[in-house]
Amino acid sequence: MKKELKDAHGKRIHPYVPELCEQLREGKVDRREFLRTATLLGVSAGAAYGMAGKILGTEMISQPAQAQETPKQGGSFKVSMQVQEMTDPATYDWTQKSNVARHMTEYLTFTGPDNVTRPYLAEGWEASDDLKTWTLKLQKGVKWSNGDDFGADDVVHNFTRWLDPKVGSSNVGLFASMVDEVDTGKKDDKGNPVMGKRMTEGAVEKIDDHTVRLNLNSADLAIPENLYNYPTAIVHRRFDEEGGDLSKNPVGTGPYMLSEFQVGEKATLQRRPEKYWGDQPYLDEIRYIDHGEDRSAWLAALASKQVDALFEVDVTQIDVVERLPHAVLHQAVTAQTGVARMQRTQAPFDNINLRRAIMACMDHQKLLDLAHRGKGAPGENHHVAQIHPEYAKLPPLKQDYDLAKKLLNDAGYKDGVTLSVNVGDATGSWETDTMQALKQQLEPSGINLQLNKMPQTQYWEVWTKAPFSFTGWTHRPLGVMVLNLAYRTGVPWNESNYSNPEFDKALDVASSLLDVEERRKAMVTAEKILQDDAIIAQPLWRAVFTATDKRVKGFRKHPTNYDQFNKVWLA
Amino acid sequence: MLVFIVRRLGTMILTMVVVSILLFLLLEINSASVAIKVLGPYTSEEQRNLWLEAHGYFRPIHIRYFDWLGNFIVGNFGDSIRFKVPVGEILWPRLANTGILGLAAMAVVIPLSLTLGVLAGMREGSKLDRVISVGSIVTTSIPEFASAVLLSAIFVYYLDLLPGTSSMSDGFSPVQLILPAMVLILYDFGYVTRMTRASMAEVMTTHYVRTAVLKGLPYRAVIMRHALRNALIAPFTVIMLQINWLLSGVIVVEFAFAYKGFGALLLEASLNQDLYMIEACAMVAVFVAVITQMVADIGYTYLNPRIRFA
Amino acid sequence: MAEQVLSIPPRESPVWRMFKSLALIRESVVGMVGLALIVFWVLVAVFANVLAPFPPNATIMPMAMPGTVGPDGSVFWLGTDHIGRDILSRIIYGSRRVLIFAPVATFCAYALGTPMGLAAGYRRGMTDDVLSFIANIILSFPVLVLYVIIIATVGASAINILVAVTFASAPGIFRIVRGLALDLRNREYVYAAETRGESPWRIMLVEILPNARGPLIVDACLRLGYVIITIGVLGFLGLGLPPPDPDWGGMINETRALATSFPHMTIYPVIAISSLVLGFNLLADGLREVSLRD
Repeated sequence: MKKELKDAHGKRIHPYVPELCEQLREGKVDRREFLRTATLLGVSAGAAYGMAGKILGTEMISQPAQAQETPKQGGSFKVSMQVQEMTDPATYDWTQKSNVARHMTEYLTFTGPDNVTRPYLAEGWEASDDLKTWTLKLQKGVKWSNGDDFGADDVVHNFTRWLDPKVGSSNVGLFASMVDEVDTGKKDDKGNPVMGKRMTEGAVEKIDDHTVRLNLNSADLAIPENLYNYPTAIVHRRFDEEGGDLSKNPVGTGPYMLSEFQVGEKATLQRRPEKYWGDQPYLDEIRYIDHGEDRSAWLAALASKQVDALFEVDVTQIDVVERLPHAVLHQAVTAQTGVARMQRTQAPFDNINLRRAIMACMDHQKLLDLAHRGKGAPGENHHVAQIHPEYAKLPPLKQDYDLAKKLLNDAGYKDGVTLSVNVGDATGSWETDTMQALKQQLEPSGINLQLNKMPQTQYWEVWTKAPFSFTGWTHRPLGVMVLNLAYRTGVPWNESNYSNPEFDKALDVASSLLDVEERRKAMVTAEKILQDDAIIAQPLWRAVFTATDKRVKGFRKHPTNYDQFNKVWLA
Repeated sequence: MLVFIVRRLGTMILTMVVVSILLFLLLEINSASVAIKVLGPYTSEEQRNLWLEAHGYFRPIHIRYFDWLGNFIVGNFGDSIRFKVPVGEILWPRLANTGILGLAAMAVVIPLSLTLGVLAGMREGSKLDRVISVGSIVTTSIPEFASAVLLSAIFVYYLDLLPGTSSMSDGFSPVQLILPAMVLILYDFGYVTRMTRASMAEVMTTHYVRTAVLKGLPYRAVIMRHALRNALIAPFTVIMLQINWLLSGVIVVEFAFAYKGFGALLLEASLNQDLYMIEACAMVAVFVAVITQMVADIGYTYLNPRIRFA
Repeated sequence: MAEQVLSIPPRESPVWRMFKSLALIRESVVGMVGLALIVFWVLVAVFANVLAPFPPNATIMPMAMPGTVGPDGSVFWLGTDHIGRDILSRIIYGSRRVLIFAPVATFCAYALGTPMGLAAGYRRGMTDDVLSFIANIILSFPVLVLYVIIIATVGASAINILVAVTFASAPGIFRIVRGLALDLRNREYVYAAETRGESPWRIMLVEILPNARGPLIVDACLRLGYVIITIGVLGFLGLGLPPPDPDWGGMINETRALATSFPHMTIYPVIAISSLVLGFNLLADGLREVSLRD
């Protein structure tokens, strides 16, 4: 059996992989989980598909079967999307910025629309048993658009700048296991030392021209997944020396090059004449056209054939798309969600009975049906999605108004209570719709929910301070990733100000377990604690949509709205 | 006349200065909030303070204001937070686009409403007058956003005749101007028509027109030679002030049709708290408004010598 | 009270005179149509809880077409919106919001603009110079530009919108009142009052203001229509009154993406807001017509 698992290049295989195969054989993990975990552990996607095929006895195709048409070369592909500044990939805070850049600057890994992470600029990786040392093997023969060879120096430079506080990249949080907390020597207004984050000495190591080693302070399961997060595009090693502006001095390894760029208006990408290191893409040109912030205008552009595809279609618009004769609707199942989180450090949410009363009023399936047209999955108030590999099923939540009234009574709100929730609609008007539906469900218990709708920027200004607000969270491939980002004590995105040592411990355990079965068992504890502490009311997991013209082929909606049109062609 | 113009100019400059102070106080008095807006909500206290220090935000407020004003006067508005380029690079082309849209709308509104207004005012109370008056009230009562939604449903989706958005991404395209201009025209022509009608009706009751009619001059000649010239003075002012109105009116239209103009820019800057862009847009809007107001005043006085310079 | 009536020659109260001039509207067909539209919506607003078949915020059955029968047998006459709220009920309750908010905002603007206009027009001199200058500064902002900047900076709440509308409308009212006061201050009854030694504020409020009522009533009607449009525009731009209570402009904004396939969601609110604005505009026109006839 070991022999079967040997990599074609004789590469060392992570010791957990055989066990994983066993689990697949026994049906403990499904094919998706197997692929995800195997590739996470450094098995190449092709090999992983091969293993799964052998184990399950079915022929597996590594790429999802496309229609049996022969792709046509050429053409200009027009997409409606906001064209924002795209100076430095490391500081991107909007997916839209990375979508233009993704065709020029590429990533070490690639998480496909199927949520499976594959090698990309890194042709493979290996993790140590304790998940603290990761060795990345880089693709050979990749050339930058300026003629330089791509190699370890580029990767080391990127890690170094990501983790340099002067750059201001959110990657500092993503690779927290490579960062030390240090005293900056300054004092704040209250005289407390200001702490800063610096990259741990020796966290990134160049082994040879095409090998880089990451030495982590703590185990991290999700390194390959993180390497496809949108601010981790690899820029040239002289990026900063040469102006540090991708839109003015576009240098990349990707198949396209920026030929025209006007912020707020348009961005045009032309296919590079040289041969691309990967599979040759079909389109000659990709044009992003900015139609402002009005989603109705985006749809109108598709309806009048001014564009071939849209960045996103709102859930309320899917019926309109279905009635356009020349348009196709694309849908992706995601772990995108929204949580109405409460800060239990602030009154009245310091009262657990009040928080639990809110939870008792919720009928998640009905919320999904009303606020999101039933597209997606009901939430369970613990922020781990069914599509996450380590999702553990807890007993179903039931709407129970008698319980809610009793809890409210215990909380001291015999005559009901009025609460106000912040809504920013940062990920679309479904946020307001969801809170309106929730308001309806809370009413019978005597809770009057008021919506405090605010402009997006204002929402983010008070995001981590507001006692009660509804925040949209994007998709992350693993359940532990989002729990680590949002609910661990003291982490910057812990918007609910949540701090529970027991939960942190349960999360520590789960985050260090490769075994999906074991991890799932550990997740039971973590999920249960989150549910019992009742800090988030999570109505639903949402599906995301977009629409293209019928002549667009090979297009698949990515759960995080990432664009990469290497396989798209026009009929 | 010269004294009058100089006085108007003086008032104009004073207005601009006061507006700039108000704007500066509204948007920049809280420097911590400026840093959040510029650097984003995820930055640390350390980064924000470094930035504030580097950009002189720890200086006294009046010094900051004069520094800011000086930069403004020479056209240095700072860098847009959202676009990361100097504000002017975005602002001026957008303003020109709005100018094009405004001209297109005005090219229809002016002849249309002057004709209708004169026709209605010529014979006050006639059937034609009733139809024109009520018609112009009805069109003015339909808000722009309502007609934008209705017109695009009809012309884009049902009839498939016109493009749904007007971003002009492939260069200038007159056909993309039709829908936004149509909405502006529909909302605006009624107002100008009614103003012209009122002015015309008033002129028709004056002594010299009545005398001319009584003298037996042909009706046409009376209208052309006597009534029209005087009746068009008031609409001139109204039309000048429409430019001020247009700066507001285009916000809705540009937003709804994704037209890359000044109104959409201002709206998006405000929604995204793109500080320096808001400041520049507001100052430009006020500047345009004050200039047109002044031209309207001077023109009115020039056309109507009966008015004493007050 | 009785002695007073005897001692002072019978004088019609300003309220009564105002009512009488309003009653003249009977003579204008256009004005009567406008009045009918307004009265219709006022009645709808007053009896909203009787007329509306559903609670306005109840999410019942998404995307129902007009005439669909609901789960409990009652009919969605105008259909439901994207999250299942009855359009008819929302329009009915929405009339309440707009008919409270617009008059309150207009009243506040008058409460601020009128005394200042009176003071500037009657006193003239420094008072006039300073107040006129302030008014001109505010008026130099294109109105919507002002709203967008203020509301996007301070956030959209009912109070903020109220303050913004008041702040932006008051200077226009100030100008009109000032102009009227400048004209009326030279009338004989003002001189008479001055000779009687009445206080300036009494002269302004009792002698000048009631005689300026005609143009002010017309202006108020136009302004009400305009404020309704403004609230709608703010709702349309996503800066309007906070959800979920129905707001006509907000209803159009929320559903206009669907206007092509589900026109009922947008067309009926459009009709509602347009007809109410039309009512005020027609009434203003009728009032102007009858006042010219005086």
